[in-house]
Amino acid sequence: MLKLENLSTPDPKVPLKSLSANFEAGKIYTILGRTGAGKTELLRTLIGLDPISEGAIHLDGSDLVSTPIRAREMAMVYQQFINYPHLDVLDNVAFPLRRKKLGKALARAKARDALAIVGLAGFETRLPSELSGGQQQRVALARAIVKHARILLMDEPLANLDYKLREQLREEFPRLLHENAEGIILYSTTEPAEAMQLGDELIVMHEGRIVAQGDPAALFDSPPSVDVARVISDPPISICAGEIRDGALLFSDGSGAGATGLTLSKDGPVQIAIRPDALTIGGDIFATVKLAEFSGSDTIVHLQLPFGEAVMLVDGIHEFHPGNPLDIMLDPTALLLFSHTGANITERTD
Amino acid sequence: MLKPKHFFLLPALLTLVAIIFFPLIFTVRVSFSSWDVYQAGLDFIGRKNYLRVFEDARFWESLIRLSALSLITVTLQYVLGFALAMAVWKEVKGQRFFRVLFLIPMMTTPVVMSVIWRTMLHESLGPTNDILSMMGIGPVPWLSSAAGAFVSVVMVEVWQWTPFMFLLMLAGLVSLPKEPYLAAAIDGAGPWRTFWQVTFPLMAPISIGAVIIRLIEASKIMDTVYVLTSGGPGTATETPSYYIYIRGLRDFQVGYSAALSLTYLVLMIITLTIIAKLLMRFLVGKDT
Amino acid sequence: MTRTYHTVKYLCLLGWSIFVVFPFLWALSTSFKDANAVTSGATYIPWLEFEPSTQGWASLFASGSRGINIVTPFLNSATVTVLASIISLMLGTLAAYGLSRYQYRAGFVKNSDITFFFISQRIMPPIVLAIPFFLMLKEIGALDTIAGLVIVYIALLLPIAVWVMIDFFGSIPRELDEMAMIDGCTPIGAFFRVILPNSATGIVVAGMFCLIFGWNDFFFAFILTFTKTQLLPVAIVSLNSSVTPWWSLSAFALISVTPLALVAVVVERFMSRGSLAGAFR
Repeated sequence: MLKLENLSTPDPKVPLKSLSANFEAGKIYTILGRTGAGKTELLRTLIGLDPISEGAIHLDGSDLVSTPIRAREMAMVYQQFINYPHLDVLDNVAFPLRRKKLGKALARAKARDALAIVGLAGFETRLPSELSGGQQQRVALARAIVKHARILLMDEPLANLDYKLREQLREEFPRLLHENAEGIILYSTTEPAEAMQLGDELIVMHEGRIVAQGDPAALFDSPPSVDVARVISDPPISICAGEIRDGALLFSDGSGAGATGLTLSKDGPVQIAIRPDALTIGGDIFATVKLAEFSGSDTIVHLQLPFGEAVMLVDGIHEFHPGNPLDIMLDPTALLLFSHTGANITERTD
Repeated sequence: MLKPKHFFLLPALLTLVAIIFFPLIFTVRVSFSSWDVYQAGLDFIGRKNYLRVFEDARFWESLIRLSALSLITVTLQYVLGFALAMAVWKEVKGQRFFRVLFLIPMMTTPVVMSVIWRTMLHESLGPTNDILSMMGIGPVPWLSSAAGAFVSVVMVEVWQWTPFMFLLMLAGLVSLPKEPYLAAAIDGAGPWRTFWQVTFPLMAPISIGAVIIRLIEASKIMDTVYVLTSGGPGTATETPSYYIYIRGLRDFQVGYSAALSLTYLVLMIITLTIIAKLLMRFLVGKDT
Repeated sequence: MTRTYHTVKYLCLLGWSIFVVFPFLWALSTSFKDANAVTSGATYIPWLEFEPSTQGWASLFASGSRGINIVTPFLNSATVTVLASIISLMLGTLAAYGLSRYQYRAGFVKNSDITFFFISQRIMPPIVLAIPFFLMLKEIGALDTIAGLVIVYIALLLPIAVWVMIDFFGSIPRELDEMAMIDGCTPIGAFFRVILPNSATGIVVAGMFCLIFGWNDFFFAFILTFTKTQLLPVAIVSLNSSVTPWWSLSAFALISVTPLALVAVVVERFMSRGSLAGAFR
């Protein structure tokens, strides 16, 4: 078990602020956060590339901080495709094994197996520079899994790939990572879908802190704070100001939200979060189209509502012209309520 | 146990300190002594040598001469080097041939080539005056008149070191990004405007670097002068390095030449720093 | 417009080419002259204008009082330049790597100050160090020896090596070193196993500059050697006396500049590939 206790770092740009967390062997942890949330910093600190200012890191009870990087038995896959340019693909993958004093033949045999797993059999004698970006990242991945490291860190490994390769490699990841199943895998990403799909457990980071940790689906259904809700939603969740008055939920323009299924016990200002799929076309809310964009086979429409701005997700590809009016319906059961400090105060009646 | 970071740095640092530092400290100490050919030794005569430097017109004249020489040669080298680099940057017939050819002079030993130049500039037997006379220009006293000797030194320096400027400028040109040129082409900018609005600004940082490097090297001019003119006629082409050499290793006034060389060094550092800052400000529009 | 422009461009290229080549052609022509041909005024084309003679070239390899010994100075120059370049490259590469990857602090001295200390040695006029070097080498009995010159040339070349290599290492991503350490290398092992094998370009460029500046130095060789350890430039300049044997001089000069003129071919290749730009920013 990997244990972080009040971990802080001195890095002036993205300092980690008193992180505590436990990671168990055999699980994949996805770290979700925006750029600058401290994901890379956390991974670099874990592996020993960046110093810590306070706190402790323990792996199965032994102190990691005082262990030199090379003795930590960890592996890492970077966002950039980092391979050894002077070694061919086979020796690239055999490199970490050779450093562990494995014989040349044995190391190469194991490297060959790892290359077969990542789908690069037949590429052994190529140089990394002769491969495509996706293939280079596969080599890096093979070099990481061949070590059977106790901790495997992956820092946005798909971020620099184009869309198609990203989808393809992401689908293969569960199988590829199974090779390292006995270790702890930490996988950072900015993409909620990726984090949900791959993670046994999800960690949400925001401004150098861990703001949530738990089952991905549970966190998605019920984010503990408005920050988590923002990070975890793609397309983005919309936050509108409102208040609870006399047991009714009102938007800032005084219109009612018709809060079916929500318990509204305490009066006062609230933040109303509208999921993109809570809005549908055809209803009594008068909206104006601001912008429409396509994502895969969906259309994402940015709307100006009477009480604020919101994003709506529409199945299929549709044309929306900026400035056109649109009548919208709001599904009140899909709303989330947050207090003015950002805490989740949604209470379902059932 | 030696820490890795010290393993990397210390060998070179200690070597350089050992080779440079002690001689430099020694020079400082010697500059306060009257060490000369009659009496070698480290007595202490206070600032007497420095007062003498202050009144040594020959030294200050050589400094002014050096400034003129450096400014003229480096300006010529920059303009010519940049122009040549522009000329062979894009598709040109015989591109590689020209590029290699233009680099050759900087690879050759300055004193050796100066020996050849000396034969070429010979007033009656050299080809320079021979060719000029075919064009009806009378014999030019290249090395025996003050103006001729100065021009000769400038010419040889330009021949020798324009390639260095050419190298840096062409290396900069080949690594320029393509996008600004596309933008300029879309805007319909002609070659002249493209040069002044795109190439020149993009090349500003490397230009500054190149000019500063050449100014530094030019401030040490000595080899060419020694062979070509021996500082003559009279002291017409004498540079500070050469003058200090005469005082120190010909007259063997070790103490005085130490004072001269330290004054020279300090003046060089101050001047070059000011020039570097000014160039930065004018060409890039930002400080340091 | 384009036509005139092209004509002017090629005329300029041609003009400069002639300016560049002329001294070499003149030296080549002169090297085949004898006293008669030289003193009868400037001539250029052998057979047509003068009767060629090989005495200039022969004198370089002749023995005895009439001959000029070229082999010893040539070997001396090569030994000193190569030795000093290799040592400077080794020390300079290590230091440049340290400066590009680690933070050093000693009082108010930081990395940038150490880098400046190395590079600023190029500002130092040779004359400032010449006299103390002279006295220092005399003290340790290294005046007029190969070893003495190598020591001095290291001071001359080390700054060049550090300067080129710092920029080169700056272009190698840090993640490469980090990956090597994650994969089980010590920091020093990461340098030798991963960084050094990928540094050929930088080392070749730095090495070329060391060779050029070492081979072409005259001043230190001139002051710190006399007869025992004469280097090429000094040997040639010593021929430059009042009764000048221009033919020997020219032949000698051509032999001494040819090896490095060939380096121009290599430099051009690196430059055209864009491998040099980083080194001068």
